[in-house]
Amino acid sequence: MFTYYLRLAWISIIRHWGLSLVMICAIGLGIGAAMTTITVNYLMSANPIPHKSEQLFFIQLDSWDVNDPFDEGVNPPDQLTYTDSTNLMKANKAFRQNVQAQAYGVIEPEDADLLPISVTARANSADFFAMFDVPFIYGSGWSQQADTSKEQVIVLSKKINDQVFGGENSVGKTIKFDNNIFKIIGVIDHWQPKPRFYDITTGAFNESEDVFVPFSLIAEEKIRRSGNTNCWKPSGDGMAAFLAGECIWTQFWVELRTEQEKQDYMTFLNAYVEEQKQYGRFERPIDNRLSNVMQWLENQEVVADDARMMMAMALMFLTVCLLNTIGLLLAKFLGKAPEIGLRQALGASKATLFSQYIIESACIGFAGGILGLGLSFLGLIGIENLYGEYMQGLATLDITMMTFAIVLALVCTVVAGLYPTWRACNISPAQQLKSQ
Amino acid sequence: MLIMKNISKVFQTADIQTHALRDFNLTVNEGDFVSVTGPSGSGKTTFLNIAGLLETYTSGDFTLDGEDIGKLNDNGRSRMRNHKIGFIFQSFNLIPDLNLFDNVDVPLRYRGFDAKERKSRIEENLERVGLASRMKHLPSQLSGGQQQRVAIARALATDPRFLLADEPTGNLDSEMAQGVMSLLEDINKQGTTIVMVTHDAQLAQRSPRTIQVMDGRVSELDLHLASTNQQAIA
Repeated sequence: MFTYYLRLAWISIIRHWGLSLVMICAIGLGIGAAMTTITVNYLMSANPIPHKSEQLFFIQLDSWDVNDPFDEGVNPPDQLTYTDSTNLMKANKAFRQNVQAQAYGVIEPEDADLLPISVTARANSADFFAMFDVPFIYGSGWSQQADTSKEQVIVLSKKINDQVFGGENSVGKTIKFDNNIFKIIGVIDHWQPKPRFYDITTGAFNESEDVFVPFSLIAEEKIRRSGNTNCWKPSGDGMAAFLAGECIWTQFWVELRTEQEKQDYMTFLNAYVEEQKQYGRFERPIDNRLSNVMQWLENQEVVADDARMMMAMALMFLTVCLLNTIGLLLAKFLGKAPEIGLRQALGASKATLFSQYIIESACIGFAGGILGLGLSFLGLIGIENLYGEYMQGLATLDITMMTFAIVLALVCTVVAGLYPTWRACNISPAQQLKSQ
Repeated sequence: MLIMKNISKVFQTADIQTHALRDFNLTVNEGDFVSVTGPSGSGKTTFLNIAGLLETYTSGDFTLDGEDIGKLNDNGRSRMRNHKIGFIFQSFNLIPDLNLFDNVDVPLRYRGFDAKERKSRIEENLERVGLASRMKHLPSQLSGGQQQRVAIARALATDPRFLLADEPTGNLDSEMAQGVMSLLEDINKQGTTIVMVTHDAQLAQRSPRTIQVMDGRVSELDLHLASTNQQAIA
């Protein structure tokens, strides 16, 4: 009977093509608006590293001014001082640990035909690559020994390797980066977590870096820092004074495999801060935080309020569209009252009629979903054009979202069709047949 | 076949009670061809709707082909309508969006026949009413008489135990009406029980048995005897 109902639905939709088109457009518009905003929210709030997001933790310590709390006292600072990061690294209390900061520089290719390339860089620890599952196509990251020895080693992105070395295996070669010679030890594959969770402070949806170098080289001034720097008191002149000061500009991640490891690490952090208080630092109350990936994204409000607001408004618009659809379906089905009465006379039960007309609703919903999908594509293109780089890569419909769009359209239209279908099935056949 | 005992039907609105049928008693045996006459508002259509399980009744006993109708739920009544009853309406009531084949197919779908069985029955019954060659036409492409023939084919497709016809010739000219009546007579001769509501006394005379409904009650009429007496007096 299902194919029979589909055929009847097709005949009915074609026969009343004007009314059907209005309903399909109503649903399509609602789905288009909803899916545009849902997609953006979905991609913004996606778990970028689902298989280990519960094991990676971002560290926050409140080393800020006792008289002027960071973030009005709601949250401790979102970065650490150089002193605290290096102390935590030396303590080595986690399974894996990574200190990092954003950097930049210029690569000068050996090939004289190639122009110098301005690149973004990340200065990080050896564990960065294993912690965040960075994929390599050639070579690997450096060792902890290289960190300690401040070796001038570098990992290139695929993009830079393609540009400078034509995509060949460049491991073992050297490259001039900011007037220093670095040895290439690895080339990573295209890697773009969304959101770029490991450094929210410089942009949750920015592209990942072009090159990676040891963090220890920052203190040696072999690489230039970029990224956010906040200080609550002057640090004095010179690099040494800056490094020793109370300026926050580094991020610290740890990998803790079990709940016990997490508890132990928190105990360690508390003890560390207590110890630093004895040196006159950390004058504020202890507010040490270990946030896993999703908690950190939530804390940093990666899904912007206006994105949430847009989604809420789009869902309200979808509701309005569905309410219109209820009215239109009601008009359509009650207009079929004579046919419904006749079908009852010929042996259709209420359940049979219900199935027939719900399937017709679903067919309209499916068509509306297809239209909505098309409108979503256009909507996302519009958003990408409107917001520019910020939205790049966030304004795309993957197979999950496309399936969700169709399912949403089907479910919404079937729900909208419940009342009209119920009304239709409770038509008195005697009344309808008499009135013919 | 059809046994109604003391059937009453009361239509209740906020202010008014309308007694459409009162102590309605009727027995229709298998193979009967019964005409039901009566003035407008007498309860003929109410009787037909109750007989066709399109309307419930307020009180009384109604047995159809051995089944107590009062005990049936919606699904049971739908099943009875589909298996046992064929309807012929004054306005034909063909579905305009479907061609003749699909119109006759409707009750067969609900019966659950497979495609081959359905095709066979549709072709057979459209052949029976002389419209097999126009299977793919829409109802709007037929005359009134042809549409009524299709409605008859649809009513017969499920091999019903009896046909209920509500003014089957009401929307037809006299020639077409005679044609439809002849068809109904043939169907009755082949064993199908027919109950027909009609205003037309001439048509009522063509059925062997006539009942009159007045004020919701039934009385038997022998129109053939009345006609013979009138001739004798003349």
